[in-house]
Amino acid sequence: MSRHLSLLALWVLGATAPLQAGVGEAAYERGDFVGALQTWRAQAEADGVTAELLSAIGNAEWKLGHKGRAMVCWERALLLSPRDPVALAGIKHALGAGGTDRPTQTWSENYAAFLGADLWLILGAIGFWGTLLAVLVPKLRRQTMGDWTQRILITSATLFALSIPGLYGAYTLASRAVVRRTDVPVKLTPTVLGEALNGTAEGDVLRTGRKLNGHTYVTSADGKGGWVKSTELEPIWGGTLPVNLDQPRAP
Amino acid sequence: MRAAFAILACFIAASLVRAENHITWEITPPVCGPGQPFRLQVRIESDDILGGANQVGREIKPPRGMVLRYSGQVFRANATEATLNFSGVAPEEEGNYVLPAFNARFPSQVVLVPAITLIVSNKTGYRKEGRARAELVLPERTFYVGEKIAGGVVMRGSEQETVTGSFGLECEAEGFTFQTEGSSFTQPLQDGLGLMKPFDLTPIRAGQSEFSLSGIMLVNTGDRISSLNISGRDRPFNFRRKLTVEHVPETGRPADWGGSIGKLEVTPPDLSNRFPEVGEPIKLKLTLVGEGNLERIIAPEIPGTDTWDIALASELRQRRSEGRRTFIYTLVPRLPGDLKTPAIRFPTFNPDSKKFETVEFVSVAVKVSGNAPAKVELVTIDPSAKVGTPAAKMITGLLTPTVAAGVKGVAKIEPLAASQPFWLSNTGALVALLLATAVISIVGYFAAHPEFLIRRRARGNLRRARAAAQDAYRRQDYAAYARAMTQGLRTGAAPLLKAEPLALTQSDILRALPTASPTLIEAIFLAADGEKYGAKDPRQTIAEDAQLQAMLNTLEAQL
Repeated sequence: MSRHLSLLALWVLGATAPLQAGVGEAAYERGDFVGALQTWRAQAEADGVTAELLSAIGNAEWKLGHKGRAMVCWERALLLSPRDPVALAGIKHALGAGGTDRPTQTWSENYAAFLGADLWLILGAIGFWGTLLAVLVPKLRRQTMGDWTQRILITSATLFALSIPGLYGAYTLASRAVVRRTDVPVKLTPTVLGEALNGTAEGDVLRTGRKLNGHTYVTSADGKGGWVKSTELEPIWGGTLPVNLDQPRAP
Repeated sequence: MRAAFAILACFIAASLVRAENHITWEITPPVCGPGQPFRLQVRIESDDILGGANQVGREIKPPRGMVLRYSGQVFRANATEATLNFSGVAPEEEGNYVLPAFNARFPSQVVLVPAITLIVSNKTGYRKEGRARAELVLPERTFYVGEKIAGGVVMRGSEQETVTGSFGLECEAEGFTFQTEGSSFTQPLQDGLGLMKPFDLTPIRAGQSEFSLSGIMLVNTGDRISSLNISGRDRPFNFRRKLTVEHVPETGRPADWGGSIGKLEVTPPDLSNRFPEVGEPIKLKLTLVGEGNLERIIAPEIPGTDTWDIALASELRQRRSEGRRTFIYTLVPRLPGDLKTPAIRFPTFNPDSKKFETVEFVSVAVKVSGNAPAKVELVTIDPSAKVGTPAAKMITGLLTPTVAAGVKGVAKIEPLAASQPFWLSNTGALVALLLATAVISIVGYFAAHPEFLIRRRARGNLRRARAAAQDAYRRQDYAAYARAMTQGLRTGAAPLLKAEPLALTQSDILRALPTASPTLIEAIFLAADGEKYGAKDPRQTIAEDAQLQAMLNTLEAQL
């Protein structure tokens, strides 16, 4: 009896899972972006986030006019899948027609975006250890390098050398944040009453530097630097869904 | 040597090269009427100084029926070009007449002027004889209310009667407006014997009406070449024609038609600034050219879009005869980014094809910098959509998302680089590897160089032997003192001689300590080892303790 109940439960789960997955898309298709967003958020909290899910949430946030949240979602989707088409289209649209700014990627960042930060680190580690072991092991064993050792050495050294710009690009790509508030002043000094040099808008992506006195040094897409309150930025790395800035922080 | 030959060859080649002479000619008028005088100008450009041409007239053999005379050369001293002028009269029959090639003889060279063709045609309107007359130029078709009809009066003269001017042009036509560019504005005809007086006619109501145009032209009679026999007279002209005027058809008339009738063309739009900031006004200049009632076109009102605020700023007024109309719009970008100016369309009615046509000013790409305002509405229309594209088309650039079911995601997006276990494990492994490498290297080094350990060990044994000797000395144990001292000497000398300590004799010690006293060494060895052989009392060797200690110190220093 219990076996039959288990089979029934599995059948019910199998039948309802695609329906739940399609609920958000259906709501998005008919223009119910709030409904789509709620569905996808619930899915993200239950199963964790994927690149597809983040891109979809980004689209829904954009449709609702939440530029900052949308940009955070799309950027994080690209961290998980550097060639996610929905996220790429969303960012392109936001830059073109949506009025957001994003620093032009350097060649090393474009190179790093080809594989993703984690894969570059794994490749770099493999290359490093392969090179080190290929050099040290024959010395420790007081033997000359064999053919295979030399092949491993060359392959590992090449892999390590190729991973260095990727690691650097991934590092600079990680040092970015999205402006979450509208009309955020970029100040000359990291102080509350610092002189405003220029401004950034919600959804702009900035390069971030050191932090001081509750402020973060940022560089805008046009190369202008200044200090922005850290609470008005959301780093691209280190989260899942965009934080809710309207919710007061716990004491 | 080879280089010298190469340089010489280059000089010779350069001296042998002669640039070709460049010869051009011009016949005025290009196409002549039968019997019409014409002017031929031959221009020769050379690398050499040409000077004056000789006997040019004798070289020319004009074709039958053509009269051609050499009228002189435009001469400049030390010039490398020459211009030969000829005057002639075209043959009386139509056709192409070839002037054969001829030589122009200059002091420096003879230049061959190639054959020149003169075209004689009756279609030029040239008249050698006959009275000056006026002709009305007006299209033969149905006209439309509001269109600009370009007409004109062509006053053709002849060799005997040349038209030199006109005045008193009057138009009597109900339902038309008549405009000229002024009494002095006339265009000379190509043959130089007549004039063209253009005018514009604009129908203002539908129906049939009679068009009447009259005026007076000034005619010079007599030989126009000779200024001594010229007399002028006025000659009036008058034209009457029935014209049919209709309204522009309502069938197929676009809603945004602004009264344009004619054949219009657009020029590329001119933008005052392609890199404005948000809120910075820029001027978009649109110029229409072509035939039509350009001055009657109502500038279209272009509604603002999500990305642009648009206002008609002004328009440049050109003269009516220029055939162009320029509208200037003020565009204010509302959003930063890569934008496009709106595509602006002008519907026009073509009176020849009797159909409405649309010309379009294409979009211009603009890069807007600055920051978006706090509240940004999403873009819902594509400003660069082609004609006929539904305006309500939603173009946001977003792709429709698809979310796969049942895929487990990550709880937090963190880079592997932020993982502490990753770096700890890698660092630990690296440290362990380096430590192992260091240990193995050290052990291997000492294995490859055992003398270090042997000497170190010998040093320790020597110190222990010295301590034992000093202890025996304090106890006045002469035998123990001698044994300890002998052991110290053997231990200290063994690594230097690469031998076992117990195998060393006093002579071996002397090899390690050449400056030592052989007697003392023999005495201490005898005291140590000779007891069992009944040697002398070793007491006296203790008296030499300072020397023996010095030997041990010397051996220790050498280890």
